[in-house]
Amino acid sequence: MAIDELLAQFHEIATSPRKQLDKYLAQGKKVVACAPVYTPEEIIHSMGLVPMGVWGAEMEVNEAKKYYPAFICSIMQVVLELGVTGQYKGVSAIVIPSLCDSLKSLGQNWKYAVPDIPFIPMTYPQNRKPAYGVKYTKAMYERVISDLQTATGAQFSGVALANSNRVYNEHNAVMREFAEVAADHAITAAQRNDVFKSAWFMLKEEHTALVKQLIEEMKKTPKDESKVRVVVSGILADSPNLLQIFDKNGLKIVADDVAQESRQYRTDVPDMENSLDALAQKFADMDNCTLLYDRDKKRVGYIVDQAKKHNAVGVIVLMTKFCDPEEFDYVPIKRACEAAGLRHLNIEVDCQMVNYEQAGTMIQAFKEMA
Amino acid sequence: MFTLGIDIGSTTAKAAILKDGKETVASSIVIATVGTDGVSQAIENVFRDSGLKKEDIQFTVATGYGRKTFEGADLQVSELTCHAIGVHHEFNNVRTVIDIGGQDAKVLSLNEQGRMVNFVMNDKCAAGTGRFLDVMANILHLDISQLEVEAAKATHPADISSTCTVFAESEVISQLAAGTKIPDLVAGICQSVASRVAALAKRVGVKETVCMSGGVARNAGVRTAMEKELGVRIAYSENAQLMGAFGAALYAFDKANTVNS
Repeated sequence: MAIDELLAQFHEIATSPRKQLDKYLAQGKKVVACAPVYTPEEIIHSMGLVPMGVWGAEMEVNEAKKYYPAFICSIMQVVLELGVTGQYKGVSAIVIPSLCDSLKSLGQNWKYAVPDIPFIPMTYPQNRKPAYGVKYTKAMYERVISDLQTATGAQFSGVALANSNRVYNEHNAVMREFAEVAADHAITAAQRNDVFKSAWFMLKEEHTALVKQLIEEMKKTPKDESKVRVVVSGILADSPNLLQIFDKNGLKIVADDVAQESRQYRTDVPDMENSLDALAQKFADMDNCTLLYDRDKKRVGYIVDQAKKHNAVGVIVLMTKFCDPEEFDYVPIKRACEAAGLRHLNIEVDCQMVNYEQAGTMIQAFKEMA
Repeated sequence: MFTLGIDIGSTTAKAAILKDGKETVASSIVIATVGTDGVSQAIENVFRDSGLKKEDIQFTVATGYGRKTFEGADLQVSELTCHAIGVHHEFNNVRTVIDIGGQDAKVLSLNEQGRMVNFVMNDKCAAGTGRFLDVMANILHLDISQLEVEAAKATHPADISSTCTVFAESEVISQLAAGTKIPDLVAGICQSVASRVAALAKRVGVKETVCMSGGVARNAGVRTAMEKELGVRIAYSENAQLMGAFGAALYAFDKANTVNS
């Protein structure tokens, strides 16, 4: 398939989650919604269920305001809004992790606001690396398994999980390769995001096959060296209107530190005898994310290293409004960029934004800077 | 060589023609919201005053809020870059530019060559902008140009919130009801703008010399309050509101030279 056809397919999937949901339901599959972030999709997949992401929609929030104040993360509000308004009809359950305070409240509100879709909590430990943290993660995974069995009737097996771990590891590797190929070949910011976003709405083995085709086609094209190279960081970077501004100004995203994009693909499930132990160890091994506790803030150095490695002029942080963990990290990122001679820019984003005029001016000025 | 810079702001349109990137041939400020005929008026004014025609202009740069929809430019450049260039041309020792316009505020950090190396803009809020002063002047039944004079008469400046224009509006009404004198209220309003924008400036890091540009810079009440807030002297030019247009014309001159060479 030609690049344009492949990119059109990714775009279609990325912008039609309901169509994907209906497709899997029509195939007789059960679908489990995955709220941000780091939902143990491998477990859901191993039980013969389809894990499907439910974050990243842009819309005005109305119904969810009954449960939330105005000054809270709009990602959560939109997830709840879609739930309340019946957009997830047909989904068997939703798994909501607890990696920030807003996510904790999402789970609690979900139980009352969307009673027909069972809420399955995934409570992660603050201290994920010590043995007791890994043990805690495994215990919580067991709770998720138990709740999934109750909600869907599906059964769990360690052998099936080992296979799903391999499927997800392969997908991780393919997405990492895609990010590197996309850094040097012609692809717009919006198209790049389509490839990442579509992964949330497809079985990973299907997505892996499609991305492999795209990588092979892209490698045949000449390198794209005419753009201003930037690294993007944030929770979400998927607004078409915002990404269009990157493209209009000739900015190329050469690496990302975005939770909905590359952050989730950095760490593989290690090879261990017990597949659930291995999955718990994967979470312990994950790093460089605002939502994963790290007293030393190694993430800051990681972002600067990514910018240097990819020959980027700077880092653009897309700051989700009211996201405390991301806001806390911005100051050290800014200082580290200044020390490294990198440009930096902080743009506040929100799932309810409709006007990106100010962001457009900031991005143009960023490009024009010395 | 003549170059034209056009700065289409949210509340005013500015135009400037420069000769050889040095001499100001004509300039014009027209009070008109973006999307109206203010831009064409400003351009007509500079052509009339200079005696030049459109064909005499070698390169035109548009900047400001309305730059993208203006069709008569060879290039669109952000107002941040243009203000940096314009201010550096006027004061070559400036390292921090505070540009308060009709609906936003920006702080720019310049290097020794006058190139912008860092900046911050206000969030989507009218507090700390020219719009804030417009709203307050309207409540007090004052012309915007009178604010400076009234602020100078203050003996006990009032405390006005810098967080939100809507809250501040109700605060001013409450203070009026409580008998606070107009000059004290106006001084408090200027202080409120300065306080809001000074916080923005501190995020970039204030390096002297500091200069104010944009329409609000013309208000001495805000300039004085800003000096107190930042603890530095503020450089100011009578052309503060034209810095974006001058910067655009200077950018046009550089661009024309590049194209010619």
